[in-house]
Amino acid sequence: MAEKTEPAAAAASRLAGEMEVEAYRRLFPLAFLERHLGESVRPDARRLSEARPTTVALGAVSSAHGSALVRLGDTAMLASVKLEVMSPPAESSDEGSVAVEFHMPPICSPLVRPGRPADVAPVISKALEDVLMSSGMLNLKELCLISGKASWLAYLDIYCLNADGSLFDAALISAVAAFTHLEIPLVSVGDDGRVFTVGGNEGKTKFELVNREKRKLTLGDIPFSLTCALHKDSILADPTSEEESIIETYVTVVVDSSDRIVSIQKLGGTVTSMTAVKECISLAKERRRKLREILIDSVEVMEVDQTE
Amino acid sequence: MSAQAGAGTYSPAAAAGDKRREKREELRRHLAEDADWPRADGRSFHDCRPAFMQTGPTTAASGSAYAEFGKTKVIVSVFGPRESKKAMMYSDVGRLNCNVSYTTFATPVRGQGADNKEYSSMLHKALEGAVMLHTFPKTTVDVFALVLESGGSDLPIIISCASLALADAGIMMYDLVTSVSVSCFGKNIIIDPMSDEEAWQDGSLMVAFMPARKEITQLTLTGEWSDGRITNAVELCMDACSKLGDILRDRLKDTATLTSE
Repeated sequence: MAEKTEPAAAAASRLAGEMEVEAYRRLFPLAFLERHLGESVRPDARRLSEARPTTVALGAVSSAHGSALVRLGDTAMLASVKLEVMSPPAESSDEGSVAVEFHMPPICSPLVRPGRPADVAPVISKALEDVLMSSGMLNLKELCLISGKASWLAYLDIYCLNADGSLFDAALISAVAAFTHLEIPLVSVGDDGRVFTVGGNEGKTKFELVNREKRKLTLGDIPFSLTCALHKDSILADPTSEEESIIETYVTVVVDSSDRIVSIQKLGGTVTSMTAVKECISLAKERRRKLREILIDSVEVMEVDQTE
Repeated sequence: MSAQAGAGTYSPAAAAGDKRREKREELRRHLAEDADWPRADGRSFHDCRPAFMQTGPTTAASGSAYAEFGKTKVIVSVFGPRESKKAMMYSDVGRLNCNVSYTTFATPVRGQGADNKEYSSMLHKALEGAVMLHTFPKTTVDVFALVLESGGSDLPIIISCASLALADAGIMMYDLVTSVSVSCFGKNIIIDPMSDEEAWQDGSLMVAFMPARKEITQLTLTGEWSDGRITNAVELCMDACSKLGDILRDRLKDTATLTSE
């Protein structure tokens, strides 16, 4: 059997003519991808530096104070912000805080099973928290209600509903969008020192309102991210899960709205030249302009919906 | 900078707690006595909420379905048939593995029961009789449900949604399974109850039904019922299940025509 000694790649290209596309794709994923990259195109017909179509829908969860549903190609993320009252710790008595949690429920991917959570979930969770807190987007003082007595604890929960690659990017957009949508409830303080919500008009005379002016957060520099997969000389922006499973090296770049770099992550993989990393940074800056427009559009769409 | 979650935090409740309780009592009295009392969302007693169902929200799964009944929103993904867990004994019929979980924002109080063991086993029992387990020997089909928002009648909606997802995945079944529940208030029976109605009901009945074969796969009954009313309620559920079955069938035909075009 001479065929067995042939290198896999050569065997793959020889077989290519005789096989059905789908079978070839499954049996020789790397050769399949490389043949596409040779033509400067991706298996889903995108250009190498092109991200997938992205949509943001605000207010997807009615029970949350702020929420957003984000689709990045087939990847879907649902983020929700729910506010609870806490007594702030002594060292930061005039600040609220944020608890970030990223969930990958078993519905989102065949790799996750109940009771056996995905390994990447806590990694993404931590990375999100780092980026959100270090980017200066949130001013925690705005989450304070009464200095030293009560402040908001914002629970940010992000659920991955469909995992098809670039999970961190999608999760970050959904988190930012949920904070954009966040509306802080009007509250007052009772005799027992507990905070309660005041609905609409009835509170006007009876209760003294604590936060009449602080209903929306003023977001500072908003972070946007782009993940690129590096394969030989090619840089593939916004990889799908199929591409992620074949390629080992990724670079995730987070830039803020004034094009400053918030974070660069390259976890393992093969060695990468500085030129490639620079290329990723410039792609990320381009992507952030696009994402910013999408986010602004989503706010406008929501406002139109509300006035109708 | 992670917050001290859990102890010491609370979600600020509306001020007038007592007033709410009075309102509840009033609603309960009316529902028990007066058949003309409107429900909170303006439905009559024997109307279901408008349903929205769709196949294929999760492309990573073999099959999936999304269901929205009023505020209740559910996604079900089906994976497999795939290799059973290593620890499993040899079996010449396939296995059905069900799991139901809730998002942390599904319920008014944050993070109550991410995994719902009771619903997981009820879902399994409701579907088991309809799936042709002998068509995938030695392997497992996983049915995972995630409740995005809970607004009442959660389990019946999960069951109907799961059977749509199984059909979308191409798993062989004797028939679709649809499910509807009713709540009993005094002498009145109301169909497809919301969370508030479920909280104050005197009794409840849930039926999981195979509409084409006219067979019941699961029936649970709680509270005080008389014989005659049980029969009435079961018939009401079966009728609604048949109609829901038609909707599911239409959804499957829609996707089939879309893909064949």
